[in-house]
Amino acid sequence: MSAATPPKPAPPAPKPSLVGSLLSLPSNVWSSIFRNPLPGNDVERSATSFTNFFLHIHPVKVHENTLRPLYTLGLGLMSFFLFVILVVTGILLMFYYVPSTTQAYDRMLDLRGSVAFGTFLRNMHRWGAHGMVAIVFLHMCRVFFTGSYKKPREFNWVIGVLLLLVTLFLSFTGYLLPWDQLAFWAITVGAAIAGYAPVVGKDMQFLLLGDANVGQEALLRFYVLHVAVLPAVLTLLIAIHFWRIRKDGGLSRPAESEVQPEILSAPGADVVVTVKAVQLEPKKTYGLQGLVRGPLIKTGNVPDRSVFSWPNLLVAELFTFILTLSVILVVSLLFDAPLEEPVNVMHPPNPAKAPWYFLGLQEMVSYSAFWGGIGIPTLFVIGLLIAPYLDRAPGGVGKWFARERLLANTTFLTFVVVNVILVIIGTLFRGPNWAFVTPW
Amino acid sequence: MPVNLRRSSGANTEQREGGHRRAFLGWLTSVGLFGSAVLSAFSNFVFIKPRATYGAPQRFSIGKPEDFPAGTRIAIESRRICVVREGEKLAAISTTCTHLGCIIGISDTGFACPCHGSRFDQDGNVTGGPAPRPLPWYKVSLAPNGEVEVDKDVEIEPGSYLNV
Repeated sequence: MSAATPPKPAPPAPKPSLVGSLLSLPSNVWSSIFRNPLPGNDVERSATSFTNFFLHIHPVKVHENTLRPLYTLGLGLMSFFLFVILVVTGILLMFYYVPSTTQAYDRMLDLRGSVAFGTFLRNMHRWGAHGMVAIVFLHMCRVFFTGSYKKPREFNWVIGVLLLLVTLFLSFTGYLLPWDQLAFWAITVGAAIAGYAPVVGKDMQFLLLGDANVGQEALLRFYVLHVAVLPAVLTLLIAIHFWRIRKDGGLSRPAESEVQPEILSAPGADVVVTVKAVQLEPKKTYGLQGLVRGPLIKTGNVPDRSVFSWPNLLVAELFTFILTLSVILVVSLLFDAPLEEPVNVMHPPNPAKAPWYFLGLQEMVSYSAFWGGIGIPTLFVIGLLIAPYLDRAPGGVGKWFARERLLANTTFLTFVVVNVILVIIGTLFRGPNWAFVTPW
Repeated sequence: MPVNLRRSSGANTEQREGGHRRAFLGWLTSVGLFGSAVLSAFSNFVFIKPRATYGAPQRFSIGKPEDFPAGTRIAIESRRICVVREGEKLAAISTTCTHLGCIIGISDTGFACPCHGSRFDQDGNVTGGPAPRPLPWYKVSLAPNGEVEVDKDVEIEPGSYLNV
């Protein structure tokens, strides 16, 4: 027992005067929002990523492989930024759009004729949607050809396949909304394809259209799906997709042991702690860090190949965003989104074509409605979903076209090439009555 | 913050005495919750499946038999049927393609679909293209007021005509 004197109460802070408070108002407001000054050292760089709501999705540090432009090509971020652009332009377009068969087409004309920036916003929305379908597909190719779907990222690949499907469905539902000839017949064909599914096909088609044919009910349903249901689903899936990137250990990269085996075996080197999987002992008390899976602590002379997210990752993201936005802006300035004749239920255009990304499907459908429209696409999707559970060889992760992944990459490349060829045939080489024509 | 993964100290005795009851109640709760979720999801589908539709009716009148002279094949595109009159016999053939639902046009040899090139003969049998089935024939009857009535909900044997 020591006679420790109780700590003296701190002298009360001088009561701030009103004038002083007013003078320091801007800086006080600023510092109450942003808790850190612009970082000048590594501690502050960490704190910036932690304490900012919009930045805390990032890890404090990322592996330098994540930032190699030629490794990721920025395709995942581009997909996300295109989605953001689509949400913003889409909400703006909603202010003028009416999902009614008697008004929708007129609203399209108004958008073109009397709404400020109407044409431009519609162009951005249309080209952004086409771009998103293409970029999401290319992103999938990148992930496959670099072997990035392998353990522990199998489930994130599955989420990614779902994201591709929802993206296609979003694009498809949006296609009907202008209520022009292109829209009407593309949806008539698309809904009929759904009707070929065994057992549930007819019910599915009826649920989708709300009626026996494409009409007012179908327009309203597609509108609700397009502006509410599917964006919500897509947002949720994106959130899971991003979260899993962090939890699966960041973006894929070559295994560390391939890079630095000499350090692990060097005599006298400090212990490298690598927790592969945590076996939980029920009798033991754990700190939170003890539950986190993955390599935890780098000690000794293992070279640290990670860099701070601020500013390295942020600059890369900003660059990708500006690039994506500029391309969409330039394309929207140069090219107007197509708008065909108003719907004429009596006269299908000849040939009636679906959106370009479904023309491969339509080409297959012209051979056999069931196999082309339902059977083969279902097999494709199932194949994509279970690919990471079939191809479980651990090698070749983190580099493009790894030699040990020749078989898997060739298989996937065949799938991609077949799809692209079918789309090209359907787009360019099919004329009236779906007869073969040459585009030149 | 440290996380304590141990059960509370009383867990062992509780498990011995009330283990079965506990497991049973747990099982019952899971089934109840899961069942409710499935039922709710299913009721959504019931909700969005319309009981009555707002579109064109499936049963409608197309006018007097005299409107269709003998030997003509008249397409009523708004109803998606083709009315065939041969002598004193009348029939209604669907002009919705059995492939993907495009509207079929009348051609020299029967019907032709503009979307994927399906072709049909005069009776609606497939003669080419991807269409998987012949065109259905719909039930035609004479209403009391002397008008011809077509019911698209009832398909009849191809080649069966109504005598007028």
